[in-house]
Amino acid sequence: MNFFDRMQNLDRRWIYLVVALAIIVPLLIPFNSKTYTTEPSENVYKMIDSFAGKDNKAILMCVSHDASTIAELFPMEVSVLRHCFERDIKVFTICFMPQSAPLVDYAINTAKEDFPNIKSGVNYCNFGYKPYSLFLPILLGMGDNIGEAVETDAEGRKVENLEIMENIRNYEDLNLVMDFSASGSVISWITYARVKFGVNVAAGITAVMAADNYPYLQSGQLIGMLSGLKGAAEYEKMVDVFAAKGKAFSKETINNTWIKITGNDIPTKFKKARIGMNAQSIAHIMIIVFIILGNIGYFVNKNKKKG
Amino acid sequence: MKRQIPLIIVMSLGFLFFAHTFIPHKFSQDFYDWYVSWTKAMSPFAVILGIMSLFMVHTTKIQRKVPNWQYSFVTLGALVFTAFAGFAWGTNEGTPFMWLFKNVQMPMSATMFSLLAFYIASAAYKAFRARSAQATVLLIAAIIVMLGQVPLGQIISKWIPITSTWILNVPNLAAKRGIMTGVGLGMVATSLKIILGIERTYLGGGD
Repeated sequence: MNFFDRMQNLDRRWIYLVVALAIIVPLLIPFNSKTYTTEPSENVYKMIDSFAGKDNKAILMCVSHDASTIAELFPMEVSVLRHCFERDIKVFTICFMPQSAPLVDYAINTAKEDFPNIKSGVNYCNFGYKPYSLFLPILLGMGDNIGEAVETDAEGRKVENLEIMENIRNYEDLNLVMDFSASGSVISWITYARVKFGVNVAAGITAVMAADNYPYLQSGQLIGMLSGLKGAAEYEKMVDVFAAKGKAFSKETINNTWIKITGNDIPTKFKKARIGMNAQSIAHIMIIVFIILGNIGYFVNKNKKKG
Repeated sequence: MKRQIPLIIVMSLGFLFFAHTFIPHKFSQDFYDWYVSWTKAMSPFAVILGIMSLFMVHTTKIQRKVPNWQYSFVTLGALVFTAFAGFAWGTNEGTPFMWLFKNVQMPMSATMFSLLAFYIASAAYKAFRARSAQATVLLIAAIIVMLGQVPLGQIISKWIPITSTWILNVPNLAAKRGIMTGVGLGMVATSLKIILGIERTYLGGGD
């Protein structure tokens, strides 16, 4: 049995071992790699940033996933919250899955640790978990009056009495909905909130589901999209380069800026996606190497049989 | 009667909601609001039904000592204990419920999902072969998109992310739109068949 025969019959446990090492080592020993931003992520950033310091504008984050996809989606949520806290942007959160409720709390608590002046009910408001059967009534109801549609927040307070609700009444003020999911749930926001009320919709989505949303991105029904860990890493970088320094977005600056993640300047929680991208890069390379080796073996054996 | 009554409910409500979509009259909107208030009342019953079903399935497994019946104890124990922790101490940060969520639920769910990477790597190695022209196109597209998703692709050549974006924006988009149009037409056809009583498999078999 020659090398190629052995490679063709390689025990899959060896593949598992190589993939495990390719993922674990870069996570334990982070290295610096440049993060390149893409237009869909930049559009999300620019839209959210355009609400900075405006009392009559806010964003809504709808968390529609469970803990299985936190590796990709949680860094996005923390980054978007951090962006809002850095730039004084009103932010609301809501979820319609019981499994998402603790994730929303976790994301808010993670992001706000570094912002002692940020207060619930003033700078942000968590509407909390609402049963899925109320999804459509709340989604449509917010088009008229958010306070009446949502009624109470996660802490049981009347939403309409909260300080954050000053100058925020319906989708004209809550002008961006961002859905974080591992499924196609963003389509409901496009179908109802976008079509009926003209609200801007963006998506934070797992990489496997990203391809499904390209039609909406191209048609403009989605103003932008963060896809998978790459999207999260791009957003982390934009927040570091612009929001954290109070600067306006610039394509030229982002392309020419190299943020080192090995230093201690940035807390780990704000660079998780970029550390994860190191592991993803190595894992992708390993898979490509496996595919190439498998094909070389296939053609060598095929030629041998012909001969 | 067992078949006729469900058929009448489906047909009448099917036509009513169809009409509601195209009639922007107050009467139509009031009917919809009335229906929504009923759906709010229905969801707690669905939860009760789900819990009852879970208990029945697992107690039966334990009673009959089917293979791996011991795991049913874990399932039922976890359900009771987590619910108790939530009811007793609440679900806020620092409570036992949140501790369970962060230290049990989150790592277990993330572990299950991350196994995908191992299966994809193994499947790619064992099955991704350039056996035909179509398979070769798929293989090349997959490699370009994978490289385009990581910084290395940009470092190798600026054309890799550009090509990757083109693949997602043109061939992928065309295929997705084709599938979505097909699914949409299929849904309309199936809905019509159900509303008109032609498709009755949802009623179940037997008399």
